[in-house]
Amino acid sequence: MECTKCGSRHVIIQRKESGQALCKRCFIESVDKKVRHTIKKEKFLKKGDKVLVALSGGKDSVVTLEILNSYRERNIIDLCAVTIDEGIAGYRAEGVEIAKAHAERLGIPHKVVTFKESFGIDLDEIMAYEKHRGSCTYCGVFRRWIINRAARDFGATKIATGHNLDDESEAILMNYLEGNTENMAKIGPKTESNSEMFTVKIKPLREIPEREIGLYALAKGLDIHLAGCPYAHESFRMEVGNIIKDLSKEHPTIRFSLLKGFDKIRLALREELTHDYDYDRCEICGEPSSNRLCRACTFLEELEHDNDRL
Amino acid sequence: MNYTVRMKGKVEEKTSEKDGLKVQDVLDEMELSSETIVSKINGEIVIEDSVIEDGDEVEFIQIIYGG
Ligand SMILES: [Zn+2]
Ligand SMILES: [Zn+2]
Repeated sequence: MECTKCGSRHVIIQRKESGQALCKRCFIESVDKKVRHTIKKEKFLKKGDKVLVALSGGKDSVVTLEILNSYRERNIIDLCAVTIDEGIAGYRAEGVEIAKAHAERLGIPHKVVTFKESFGIDLDEIMAYEKHRGSCTYCGVFRRWIINRAARDFGATKIATGHNLDDESEAILMNYLEGNTENMAKIGPKTESNSEMFTVKIKPLREIPEREIGLYALAKGLDIHLAGCPYAHESFRMEVGNIIKDLSKEHPTIRFSLLKGFDKIRLALREELTHDYDYDRCEICGEPSSNRLCRACTFLEELEHDNDRL
Repeated sequence: MNYTVRMKGKVEEKTSEKDGLKVQDVLDEMELSSETIVSKINGEIVIEDSVIEDGDEVEFIQIIYGG
């Protein structure tokens, strides 16, 4: 088999959705080009932006940092990075080290923020409680809280996350299946809010399949944290993901068409379904919240109330 | 024909009588999915269609984890 673009005999990927076969060099170029196209199409970046990368050390965030760094090298944007240590023994430490090393290698301001220092409790401690909402619920809410705050501390104008095509297509189908129209109006390439305290979030890798991001990292020789979270569990999201995976075997274009189709109706949905929230400050932590307490503080109060050991 | 398979720090010596054994055959035998794995032969990334030769080291790197 030969590379469709240059004829090299060292092919590293055959794209089922297009029939394309690519060598290492042409594959890297192709991903770079696709991401640059997404960034341009969605107007993710403007000159002078300071972008905060949520850097876990996993393949998605490392590749996000790597590609955005090419914009930094061309003096278009500035970069900074935050790594969140949830406090998961035997899992998180390696990712944190890898994240640190990448930030150092590229000379990017970086900080590590722990759940413990932010909330007085880490994920292992939460999971040891009798009553809790499941690891991923806390992780999602607490991580967003830390990232938002870090963005303001760094003076960042954008937050970049590593969401890939698999993540996005899962989220879209899941919201359809759950009839969650409110979320449907919210998800998309950019997350904006009418509160000035929230920084705009962008997803440069949203059109790149997850496997290609891993392949890109390996092809470029980037060190990435390869491990599964010990708290990952069967969830509706995972079931939906498996359905898409199964369908993709015979229909390799469905992730792309699901995203493309959704992008076409997204603006109409937003017109129809978005209502402006009135944001106030959370009474406890001062973060923006449409209720008396933000979600993070609500969860912390609930944990304290439900578990007398705290 | 002899070859080795390396995965997650473990190395396994293997023998095959099959002519033109492909990476995909080994993945199937080990019940691994090419959707979550990148394969290398002698340190170079390859596609699953690649034929394994005597003395080759095949490496499987899991890049996608559930959850
Ligand atoms: Zn090529
Ligand atoms: Zn709060």
